[in-house]
Amino acid sequence: MTKLRRHENRIELLQGTLDLLILQTLQWGPQHGYGISQAIRLHSSEILQVDTGSLYPAMHRLERQKWIRAEWKLSENNQRARVYQLTAAGRKQLVAARSRWTQLSEAIAGILDRPGASEA
Amino acid sequence: MTLPVWRRRQDEELAEELATHLRMAIADRVARGEDPEEAARAARLEFGNVSVIRETTREVWGWTAIEQLAQDVRYACRTLRRAPGFTLVAVITLALGIGANSAMFSVINAVLLRPLPFPSPDALVAVSGVDHRRAAGSVSLSASWPDFFDWRSKSTSFEHLSAYRDGSFTLAGGDRPLHITGAVVSSELLSTLGVQPVLGRGFRLEDETGGDVVVISDSLWRSQFAAAPDVVGRTVVLNARPFTIIGVMPAAFNFPIKVPPAQAWIAAAEDARVEHPDDTPMTAQRGAHLLKVIGRLRPSATVASAQADLDVINAALAREFPVDNAGRGVRVLPQLDVLVGDTRESLLVLLAAVGCLLLIACVNLANLLLARGAGRSREIAMRVALGASARRIVRQLLTESLVLATLGTACGLALAYGSIAVLGRWLPVQVRGLDQVAIDATVLAFTAGAAIVSALAFGLVPALQAARTDPALGSQGGSRTTSGRAQRRLRGALVIAETAVGVVLLVGAGLLLRSFDRLTRTHPGFDADHVLTANFVVPDSRYTYLEQVAFYDGVLADLGALPDVEAVAATAPLPLSGSNFTISFEQEGAVSRVDRESAGFGIVSPGYFRAMHIPLLSGRDFSEADNDAAPRVVVINESFARRYFPDVDPIGRRFKPGLATTEKDTPWREVVGVVGDIRHRSLAEPTSPAYFVPYAQGLITSLRLVIRTRNTTGMADSVRKVMAGRDPEIALYDVKTMEEYLTTSVASPRFQTLLLALFAGLGLALTVVGLYGVMAYGVAQRTREFGIRLALGARPGEVLGLVMRGGLALVAIGLAAGIVAAMFATRLLAGALYGVNRLDPATFGGVAAVLLAAGMLASYLPARRATRVDPIGALRSE
Repeated sequence: MTKLRRHENRIELLQGTLDLLILQTLQWGPQHGYGISQAIRLHSSEILQVDTGSLYPAMHRLERQKWIRAEWKLSENNQRARVYQLTAAGRKQLVAARSRWTQLSEAIAGILDRPGASEA
Repeated sequence: MTLPVWRRRQDEELAEELATHLRMAIADRVARGEDPEEAARAARLEFGNVSVIRETTREVWGWTAIEQLAQDVRYACRTLRRAPGFTLVAVITLALGIGANSAMFSVINAVLLRPLPFPSPDALVAVSGVDHRRAAGSVSLSASWPDFFDWRSKSTSFEHLSAYRDGSFTLAGGDRPLHITGAVVSSELLSTLGVQPVLGRGFRLEDETGGDVVVISDSLWRSQFAAAPDVVGRTVVLNARPFTIIGVMPAAFNFPIKVPPAQAWIAAAEDARVEHPDDTPMTAQRGAHLLKVIGRLRPSATVASAQADLDVINAALAREFPVDNAGRGVRVLPQLDVLVGDTRESLLVLLAAVGCLLLIACVNLANLLLARGAGRSREIAMRVALGASARRIVRQLLTESLVLATLGTACGLALAYGSIAVLGRWLPVQVRGLDQVAIDATVLAFTAGAAIVSALAFGLVPALQAARTDPALGSQGGSRTTSGRAQRRLRGALVIAETAVGVVLLVGAGLLLRSFDRLTRTHPGFDADHVLTANFVVPDSRYTYLEQVAFYDGVLADLGALPDVEAVAATAPLPLSGSNFTISFEQEGAVSRVDRESAGFGIVSPGYFRAMHIPLLSGRDFSEADNDAAPRVVVINESFARRYFPDVDPIGRRFKPGLATTEKDTPWREVVGVVGDIRHRSLAEPTSPAYFVPYAQGLITSLRLVIRTRNTTGMADSVRKVMAGRDPEIALYDVKTMEEYLTTSVASPRFQTLLLALFAGLGLALTVVGLYGVMAYGVAQRTREFGIRLALGARPGEVLGLVMRGGLALVAIGLAAGIVAAMFATRLLAGALYGVNRLDPATFGGVAAVLLAAGMLASYLPARRATRVDPIGALRSE
């Protein structure tokens, strides 16, 4: 029960941000779930560890929103894997989400960088 | 958790996807040099709880519309199960409303909607001769052979046009002579209908003039010829003359459409024959209107164009043959309309009645649901607070209504199925299709439509009302405050509406009941009690005219000698048997033959009026002395005397009936007696002028036996024995009592009255239940108010009066509205009423009294409860 609560908290925490990361990762090419989680870890220099309990609900939600599309394919070492790729709608969503993220981080940075803010 | 089938695959794929992820993670760790067992453990730890991940992922899939519906239905069923009383009342109400509609619609479907059982039935039209000189309403649906021949040769609108008349035959050759019904037809009848024999051939044009040929029905082929494949070409004896079988019709063929179906069809040659070389055959008598005509329109023709086409031809005929055709016109109507006749009107009245019943049921349910919605406001407020959208709430509540409607419809269909079986005994079978009433796909579709429409009708307003619930109520306790004045007004309006509809139904039923009562009390002018009738045909081929007269003399003498027989006579046509003769006559001093009048006509034996208890008003009855050698005489009825001899004593006066078939000359006849009027066609039809001749002086058709006896049950066998003694080849048929004819003649009005009374009774019951529900609910809501009133010293009688005034006010408004509506609605009924004005004050007053009494009862019980409110308890409960 506590475990479930932990997952739910994580989903809330990463909502939106995780979606953005998944869409961004898929822009580099089709990828399966494990590949996406590894890519996020690698490109964030191992800082961001994506919880599988958040990743899969997020990917299935994106699929339901038709931003990504999935199909079963054989991976490099002959494993059957569910491979995701961006749809046209997903590309548009990525652009929108990126610009919102930029706005958000600039706004937050603006507040954090105000003189005296660090002393507060 | 069990998942629906379409979800299970998706779930399996998710499991596989997660397993792949784990395998890849382990493989990566092993590739980095970890121990495989250690790698698996660590990867699993990092991965987390697989089933929890599956669960959370499944949640984002969301619910499909079907799953939501299934969810709503499950929820609705649970809710309804928790309120069994409400559910029961609602389902019964709906079952009555929808069941009545299904049953009624199945009748309408069978009679009005089901097409005629012939190829391209829409192209079939009935062509009827009409006499413009006769009063409107007494349209003669017949034509003569010469007119038909002219229509057939000159019109351009028809692919085929054919004439037919009912015929009845005695088939010899079996164990005993068999009476069968059939038709005399023109050559292209089967082509017109688009049905060909399964064996042999149909009629050809040359069959109209010679060669006695017969086409037989499938059932006759099986019963009399053991389905012999070589039956075509065999000879059968019909009416004592040999006929050659030329064809056998398919089993389903039934024309002229009637119950029981026709068994044999013979060609028009039958009517081209004469007994005496000097006689004129029927096929040459332009004035002998005995045919019905059916045509198949060309694809390019319409009913209107065919009418115009025949109008031109008929106008020319009227100029050419003024004696027979002046004033005669023609009417082209779709064949189905003619068959349906005035049944359409009474069925539509009944359909309107069940529609009203369903309306009352829906109003009742809407009221119940509104009351329930108010009681459930806390539950709904909770759901709104938890995030349910208004749309979701409406959908949920409508689903509940649909579930109710489905349950009600299922019960209603069972009810309809049962009632059709019961009603079957009351149905007047003369109406086409009434023998085939069944719940088929069309009826089911109609029922489903009615169910959905009703669910929306009674569910939508309460659902919208509920969806407006303030979520804040969920946390507060009271459901008492939710039903505001607006809602109470809405519920009051619903009661008023249903009362008004109930009034219309009751008034309609009341009028029909009174009318039916009048009808059954109408004296037919004769005494039907203890009278047995029977029919037989004396074949022209074996008996000359005078021999036939002698045969009747002998049979009547034999029958008169039987024990228990009080009187015996013969007549044609028999009153109320559906047969009616009209023959024109020439008055003394008439200027031209064109001005001849027509009146009802009968051939009777001496003693007929006495046997039927028809009073002799003046002059004398016929006697044995009025034979072929005696001067020609006639007896007229009261109406005839009033109309044609208004100011003089008719006895001794003369007129000349146009009876030409059996006598070379048409002599003047002297009026020797006047008898009372009788209702000949039906009890409802006013009496009309008629005259009678003794059969010894004008036998033009076979007569019906009329036997007044102390013992009708045993008499049939004695009559059969007498007939067999006189001529074993002659078949006796239609052995029925006069009472049976009387019953049959009121079968249709009885059916309509019975049903409308039943529907109105149900409507009244539902209205009372609805009013009671509203009153009881209102009292429950105002418990606190009554408690305070009583605590402040109001006497119970005052509280009782307060509540009852409220209820009766609703009834009174509904009653007033209903009476106004009924004054218009009863126009629909005007044609079905007999002897009762459609605005009959007694009926309207009676309905008002019944409704007020019902309203008193429905308000009294809740009002009495209001007087028993415990003031302390009511105040404390808040």
